[in-house]
Amino acid sequence: MNKLSTILSWVFQIVAAAILAQTLYFKFSGHPESVKLFSELGMEPHGRVLIGILELVAVLLLIRPTSAIWGAILSVGVMSGAIIGHFTHLGWDGERGQLGMLAVLVFVASLAVLAIRRKTIPFLKSVFDENVPVEAPVEEE
Amino acid sequence: MKASLSVDLHKLAKFVNLSLPVLSVLFFFAGLHLSFYFHFATVTFLLLTVINLFYLRVQRSHALLGNFGIIGQARYMMESIGPELRQYFFANDTEERPFNRNERAEVYRKAKNVDSAASFGSQQNFDEFELKLRHTMFPVAKSELQPFSLTLGEERGIANAYTLSSPFMISAMSYGALGEKAVRSLSRGAKKTGILMNTGEGGYPKYHLEEGGNLIFQIGTAKFGVRTPEGHLDEAKLKEVCAKDQIKMIEIKLSQGAKPGKGGMLPKEKITQEISELRGVPLGKDVISPPSHVECTSPEATVEFIKRIQEISQLPVGIKLCLGRPEEFEELVEAMIKRQSFPDWITVDGSEGGTGAAPKAFLDSVGIPIYPALKIVGDILKKHNVRDRLKVFAGGKLISPARQIMAFCLGADAIYTARGFMLALGCIQALECGNNTCPVGITTHDPSLQRGLDIEQKANRVCNYVHALEHDLRELLSATGCRSVREFNEEHLFIPKGTILSSLYTKNTLAPVSS
Ligand SMILES: Cc1cc2nc3c(=O)[nH]c(=O)nc-3n(C[C@H](O)[C@H](O)[C@H](O)COP(=O)(O)O)c2cc1C
Repeated sequence: MNKLSTILSWVFQIVAAAILAQTLYFKFSGHPESVKLFSELGMEPHGRVLIGILELVAVLLLIRPTSAIWGAILSVGVMSGAIIGHFTHLGWDGERGQLGMLAVLVFVASLAVLAIRRKTIPFLKSVFDENVPVEAPVEEE
Repeated sequence: MKASLSVDLHKLAKFVNLSLPVLSVLFFFAGLHLSFYFHFATVTFLLLTVINLFYLRVQRSHALLGNFGIIGQARYMMESIGPELRQYFFANDTEERPFNRNERAEVYRKAKNVDSAASFGSQQNFDEFELKLRHTMFPVAKSELQPFSLTLGEERGIANAYTLSSPFMISAMSYGALGEKAVRSLSRGAKKTGILMNTGEGGYPKYHLEEGGNLIFQIGTAKFGVRTPEGHLDEAKLKEVCAKDQIKMIEIKLSQGAKPGKGGMLPKEKITQEISELRGVPLGKDVISPPSHVECTSPEATVEFIKRIQEISQLPVGIKLCLGRPEEFEELVEAMIKRQSFPDWITVDGSEGGTGAAPKAFLDSVGIPIYPALKIVGDILKKHNVRDRLKVFAGGKLISPARQIMAFCLGADAIYTARGFMLALGCIQALECGNNTCPVGITTHDPSLQRGLDIEQKANRVCNYVHALEHDLRELLSATGCRSVREFNEEHLFIPKGTILSSLYTKNTLAPVSS
């Protein structure tokens, strides 16, 4: 990775991690809005805590260079669930819509991290190897 | 097997490719109508579906994944853990290369000071092509054995002649190939036992010196540590190195068994500030190690170069080479005789030699293996009556007493091993030396991988290994009826017909060839 893509990746990691982290407080403290949300999904209280823990792990993974890729994968997964939730149960009206858009934002940022760091994605990485013909050997000294 | 019972992988793959999207949809509806928790599965299968589509439709680099999709990945995953599975479970005790489990276990036991006796019988193939040692009916008592002593440089009458009191030495491994902690452990271990450690061609031996071991300083073809910016010898720097009390001898590397006739390139990415200082190379530029010393263009020039190093260093000076063409070696010896100028020893490195990294063709197929090489070198030296003038060090998988003894019989005066000492440090033969990913922290500079390597512990292992080798050597001396290593000779060997070695003996030179 060159310098520019490294910086870019970090911007996306921080954006994703910051948004995730900021919603954690509401989840763990049992904020009424959060409780209401998870009740509508039929996941209160266990689902709320479980999702909170998964998001916390994603945040921690995202902010370490060697584990960012895992964080991005986890975050893509959890956010997919959130987006499904908005489509099927929660809707996009008013404040709900804002929350939903945040989920989409995290989803996109995490996808961007995956795209930039594609050559380190576990199992998938070799697919991204560049396939260029090797030059004919040149004489060394 | 009947075709109807066998698994048709292509059909299985098609089934999987179809089931992934179907399952995603099913779980989605379960999530919609039964419980939102089902969406954990929805998301998982959705991701798998996407990856699968990517494999099947987008990527072009793997035909297998393009045809079979995600299930084809199983092949790569299984294959990638193959080496571990084989090493842990499936390879038998005498099967692996370069060292099989029996050979490794012997070193581990010696290093840990655990009894290495085995029960019931040997795992070797008898009636096959194995060398055996011929013992005597009348062993000598241990009290009659003479302590080992080999002096280098005495023939030239230099003030700094050095006397080895153990026939075992740590063969060249550079700081660079080895990490800092491994170097420290070896040097500290060498100090504890009083053996010599070769610095390898890694330049100025900073960490070796700090741990206090006695050293053989190696001059590689790029002359790291003692080079001018153009790669020639910097005499002042060499003098400076030789002035260090711990530097006892100098070894000029002409070639090494794992890659004889091959130079190398140190890529600029690997040249850190420290490497640049220790090796004396500029930052930000690839550095070429030529395949031979620029000075050594002919046998005469080589002898001249050796002499020059001897004069500058005032220390015993040896050369290290892997035998290629015996005629050329003979020419070199003739040039020495003509000039009456000899190195103080010759290190014969067998083609089975180890390395941090070498091209496979060189590793596998270039150079003569150690036993025949020793025999050929010995014969040439004897033919020219200089066998006593030149000491011979031998290296090439000589990690256990059994192989070491054969080398002694074939003319070695002392034994070098590199990988033996790596095993003593805890090497598990992961074959990662060139990747900076050594799982036991020996050939890596990654601090998180070196973390597990405890210098003091490992120094003790080195010490135990050497002492166990010395112990076994004494047992074998006694069993063959020899009082010192010097008395070992070919007569002590049983060399089955059909081996490479036996092909070097004509009928009347050696009785032991079974006939
Ligand atoms: C990690 C590693 C680094 C080595 N570095 C050097 C070196 O710098 N110079 C050299 O002449 N030989 C080098 N060698 C070769 C060894 O000194 C030795 O000749 C060879 O491994 C044969 O001995 P063995 O079979 O006991 O390992 C290296 C070997 C290993 C395994």
